[in-house]
Amino acid sequence: MTDSHDTFLGLPQDVVFCQRCVMSNQRPSSYPEFKHTRNRITPTLHIDADDVCDACRYADRKKQIDWNAREEELCRLLDKHRRNDGRYDCLVPGSGGKDSAYAAHVLKYKYGMHPLTVTWPPILYTDYGYANFRDWINIGGFDNVTINPNGRVHRLLTKLAIENLLHPFQTFILGQKNLIPKIAIKHDLPLVFYGEPEAEYGSPIAETATSLRDASYYAMEDLEHVHLAGVAVPKLLEKYDLELNDLAVYLPADHRELEQSRIEVQYLGYYLKWVPQEAYYYAVEHTGFRARPFRSEGTYSKYNSIDDKIDDLHFYTTYIKFGIGRASYEASQEIRNNHLTREEGIALVRRFDGEVPERYVKEVLDHIGMEADHFFHLCDSCRSPHLWRKKGDSWELRHRVS
Amino acid sequence: MAFVRIIPRIDIKGPNLVKGIHLEGLRVLGRPDVFARYFCESGADELIYMDVVASLYGRNSLKDFIAQTSREIFVPLTVGGGLRSLDDIRDVLRAGADKVSLNTAAINNPDLVAQAARHFGSSTVLVSIEAARQPDGSYEAYTDNGRMESGRDVFQWAREVERLGAGEIMITSIDREGTGSGYDVELTRRISESAAIPVIACGGAGQPADIAQVIKSGKADAVSAASVFHYDCIRQNGSLKGFTGEGNVEYLQQVAAGDRAGFSMVEATSIRALKRELLANGINCRMDTEAYAKH
Amino acid sequence: MQSTDTDRPRIAIVDFGMGNLYSVKRACEHFGLTADITSKSRQLQAADAVVLPGVGAFGDAMDTLRQLDLIGPLKDIAASPTPLLGICLGFQLLMDGSTEFGEHRGLGIIPGVVVGLRETIGADSAVKIPHVGWNRIKKTRDQRQPESEGIRVAGDWGNAPLSGVPDDAFLYFVHSYHVVPEDARMTLAVTTYGGAEFCAALQHANIFACQFHPERSGPAGLRIYESLATSLTAIVPQD
Repeated sequence: MTDSHDTFLGLPQDVVFCQRCVMSNQRPSSYPEFKHTRNRITPTLHIDADDVCDACRYADRKKQIDWNAREEELCRLLDKHRRNDGRYDCLVPGSGGKDSAYAAHVLKYKYGMHPLTVTWPPILYTDYGYANFRDWINIGGFDNVTINPNGRVHRLLTKLAIENLLHPFQTFILGQKNLIPKIAIKHDLPLVFYGEPEAEYGSPIAETATSLRDASYYAMEDLEHVHLAGVAVPKLLEKYDLELNDLAVYLPADHRELEQSRIEVQYLGYYLKWVPQEAYYYAVEHTGFRARPFRSEGTYSKYNSIDDKIDDLHFYTTYIKFGIGRASYEASQEIRNNHLTREEGIALVRRFDGEVPERYVKEVLDHIGMEADHFFHLCDSCRSPHLWRKKGDSWELRHRVS
Repeated sequence: MAFVRIIPRIDIKGPNLVKGIHLEGLRVLGRPDVFARYFCESGADELIYMDVVASLYGRNSLKDFIAQTSREIFVPLTVGGGLRSLDDIRDVLRAGADKVSLNTAAINNPDLVAQAARHFGSSTVLVSIEAARQPDGSYEAYTDNGRMESGRDVFQWAREVERLGAGEIMITSIDREGTGSGYDVELTRRISESAAIPVIACGGAGQPADIAQVIKSGKADAVSAASVFHYDCIRQNGSLKGFTGEGNVEYLQQVAAGDRAGFSMVEATSIRALKRELLANGINCRMDTEAYAKH
Repeated sequence: MQSTDTDRPRIAIVDFGMGNLYSVKRACEHFGLTADITSKSRQLQAADAVVLPGVGAFGDAMDTLRQLDLIGPLKDIAASPTPLLGICLGFQLLMDGSTEFGEHRGLGIIPGVVVGLRETIGADSAVKIPHVGWNRIKKTRDQRQPESEGIRVAGDWGNAPLSGVPDDAFLYFVHSYHVVPEDARMTLAVTTYGGAEFCAALQHANIFACQFHPERSGPAGLRIYESLATSLTAIVPQD
């Protein structure tokens, strides 16, 4: 009989762990960021009656997929869009990490497409991350458009997102999700290829059947309903003395423009079997990718998401808000791919999850103008009672994967 | 002139041989015993087994494999990965290893090197140093299979290790390893010239010329390599293709399906072919027909 | 008639806590011998052959042998017809003494001393100590006719332990000290390292000793165990 505690963010009261991977039912599913406010009810990962999560179920289904048929489907799609008149025929978003390196390279050099790579950059590049980006372009060989946001606005919104939502990564996500379709429209590139399908991580399985992203994620109706950093746009403009143009890069595309444009946001992982570790080897082989020289804080790996100094803060906040740190995300994915056993995953989570970030914290917080003490104080105020309890001077998770 | 030793390195995770790049990634290449046997038949002078996740998981799991190997293979075997105490070392020696390799535990507790050398003999204790080049040109030693910085300068640590009684040093360039871009010759040379004990070079072999270079210019007393030998073993051993089981077996599946061969970053070579090339380059190594006769 | 375990020759491998005893055991077993790792003198005395292996420091080894009360039994075995095989440090322990970390007395079974390789080779830093790796041996006497050179050979070693090993064969060495026997005629083979030539293998009566590790020297080294096995099975009575 478990005690009942308050839950923040509308998370499920009972904490349940998947018995196949190490994910819990507290894991947030993909959610339109412009609807994200402090009071939201978070849609979360579904774990079924057999204690198996949707992402693991999807991984099971992946084993049944006829990849030859999927590849043929891809070729038919690409044949429809391929241009040989010197112009681009598809758009690949990314910044030269292992997944975008793989996607761009395989589309261009194996399937003969002509991708334009589009980069929404990290808020603060790591130097090896930036080197990987340059090598992607120079060694991999791609044209690239990088949209650099107005730094003052970017820093302000990032800070507000932390203050209001404890969500350091929101400004990155907003740009990534909202900007790409707009660029695609502008360059008349109806075909956009992201990496693996989101169902890999537990969003509604139904979406992957057609591999198209739900249009509701990037359509917008009315500014009153659009929230950035948890604040409605009109209020944002007024309170911080901004103009609408200052927020241009973060706002979703006009849905009428979208409808007229024929954009298809595809997931390459729907057509090609995605093995994250093999994407790493591929990127090293073909685009000069180099792993980070040391272990990422909060996990065991060196090659996942290593280009943004704010990543460590991001995963620390997921640990605070949901009890799920970076090691949990990575280990779960590797378990589903059979690279790790569940026992190994548990050992890694116990050892690394929630490691307090040190390496880049001060630099990132200085950049956005926040005191470190204040940040960690905010973290403490976001520890949902149903997940955390105080033990002396420190905090302890009520539930740990086992 | 001393005969240079060629030592294939077998990284192991659980039941599998794995091979990463920059000590990252755990692509499965097959069952380690297949490789061990093949390498010995091809003229390996010694073997090194590294449990690459022992420190990560806090476990030691190579004993069964060591015992199996030492029943079949009669060349020296060095074993490393997660050895933290004299008991760990004793267990591994009892299972059949001749030498042990220490890294993480040695940096965290240098006295362990001295104790092990006293207890088991200097020649039984090899210290492995994983080095990463820093932006300012210095080299820092890493632990936990290239995952954590130690704050120690590699050259100072090497000198201390010798003072503590280690019998050999293995110097691995994290930046080069798995890339096939050649050894860090300068790093090797500096370590070897300042050490009175033998130095084994590791990390970066992409072709036989790289090995010749690290011996001649890098002054290595012995050379360890992995990828160049592994991908040769795979092409010679049909049994490895289509391998299933735990771990990232995607590469082997692709080889079985005919979608891939080799690894573009290295020129696969057998040890026999390598030694022939070394001899042609005036480098002394063990090569006699007896070595290849099955007994 | 099938030979049972009790018919198979028994080798006793002296366990004084040092050295890779297990590979010696495996090498013996490879040729059908039963091998026990033991520190009990009774088992040593009952064995058909005794192996004295070892890796480590001379002084510590002698202390351990003393504590285990094995010095007497080993000397007895050396004086008996039972074949005694000394390997690496085990070879060195047979001698009168060593200069490793001070002056230490050895078993005194073979007249001679143990000295540092560095002393012998000189201060050339390019020559690394310990001597680790494969090296060729050169046989220095014809083993088939040792009696004419005044060397006693017990019939137990049969055709002499190095008979299956080609001259110039590669064997595996790992040591910082080397043996200098008083009587050079006992030397069976030498090796050269750092410009210095020194004893690699020696035989006197029932004693065969080698600086290299025959159980770690691939097929060539295994021939030594093979010839031991052959000579032992030849004399074990079948009934």
